[in-house]
Amino acid sequence: MTNDTPPVPQRLVEFLPNLRRFAISLCHSRELADDLVQAACERAIVAADSFAPDTRFDAWMFRILRNLWIDHLRRARTAGPQEEIEKAYDVSVPSGEAATHARMELMEVATALQKLPEEQREVLVLVCVEELSYRDTADVLSIPIGTVMSRLARARKNLAELTGISLGEKRSSNTKGGVA
Amino acid sequence: MTMEHFDDETLMAFADGELDAATSQRLETALEADEALAERLAVFLDTRLAVGSAMKPLIDEPVPEALAASVRRMAEAADAKPASAPENNVLAFERPEPSMPVRNRQPWLIPIAASILAVITGVGGYMSGRGSVEPGASFESTLSAALDREPSGSDVTLGQSEALHIVSSFVDGRGELCREYELKRQNDTTATVACRSNGNWVTRLALSSPRAEGYVPASSQETIDAYLASIEAGEPLAADAEKNALAGKAE
Repeated sequence: MTNDTPPVPQRLVEFLPNLRRFAISLCHSRELADDLVQAACERAIVAADSFAPDTRFDAWMFRILRNLWIDHLRRARTAGPQEEIEKAYDVSVPSGEAATHARMELMEVATALQKLPEEQREVLVLVCVEELSYRDTADVLSIPIGTVMSRLARARKNLAELTGISLGEKRSSNTKGGVA
Repeated sequence: MTMEHFDDETLMAFADGELDAATSQRLETALEADEALAERLAVFLDTRLAVGSAMKPLIDEPVPEALAASVRRMAEAADAKPASAPENNVLAFERPEPSMPVRNRQPWLIPIAASILAVITGVGGYMSGRGSVEPGASFESTLSAALDREPSGSDVTLGQSEALHIVSSFVDGRGELCREYELKRQNDTTATVACRSNGNWVTRLALSSPRAEGYVPASSQETIDAYLASIEAGEPLAADAEKNALAGKAE
């Protein structure tokens, strides 16, 4: 038993905004995301001993939350069509004021993200939003690194297609306001 | 000299900073001369940037106070508890340590637990009243046999008007095998958590709700989830693990 184990509960509190972002990215519903975050924190505290101090805390937490989300999806699937799921896909990106063009483009990306199959969305979010390495992503999802890469490549091609990114546009168009 | 071919995953790894130095160097050289290659690479650079810009700002959203407070309380309660025994280390993920009192860990559960008690009482009334419609013993044994045998996700018709839908199997904090299932009748649906104890399925939680087409309302699901957390339910068992657990009567 290690004496200098970092206090998981303390780290959890600090990690909340991050965990919540990950949850929202996965399920696209803030309400559901908050439930997932709460449940994940509970699990984490109960299972705090299983966290190896020399591993990444974020990857460990993402894994717990992601597994809860998959359970939720599975339950929703076996329990038949559920209103909650449909609603989840409706709730859109941050409550906003004026929809500028730049903003609309971002919303399109967020919407397209929700159109991807679950397995593609999760790799995309872990790598491109949470900036995990392929190796850490593979660990979170318990899949081989090769699978991470093939899913991630497919996810990005699909996303590019859905949003029009990089198709006949100059690269600068989505870094700077090329769309007036 | 032929031009080296770079496949999509190599380009993507480069965009993500995951490509080894030697290959990166060769790719950079190739990029200078090959516009088509640069365009293929742009897909991966741009998607990373686009997804990042769309989702990263979510981190600045204030965490709802109720959630933050609840997690803080959990954290404080956990800090206050004595260190747990080392032999729990390996199993902790699947089978949480049973010693921690629920009220320390989950203050938010208490009001829900109170309402669960009320609901269980209600179902008891229903169960005893049902005997007049169908012979109770045979219903119980059919249900119990189905729970012993059927995989999660399956639907079984029980009696004339009741349909059983098995949701999942899991192991609780005490190591008992439990199943979550729904009984659908004409006018209502009962969501139940039962655990196998000495070969018998003992109901731990039953929640009746007016029949909604095909599913348990979200509010019931929340109560069930809260209850599952309180008995320290493990992850739902995968198909194989479930089969083994169901077969091994002495869990």
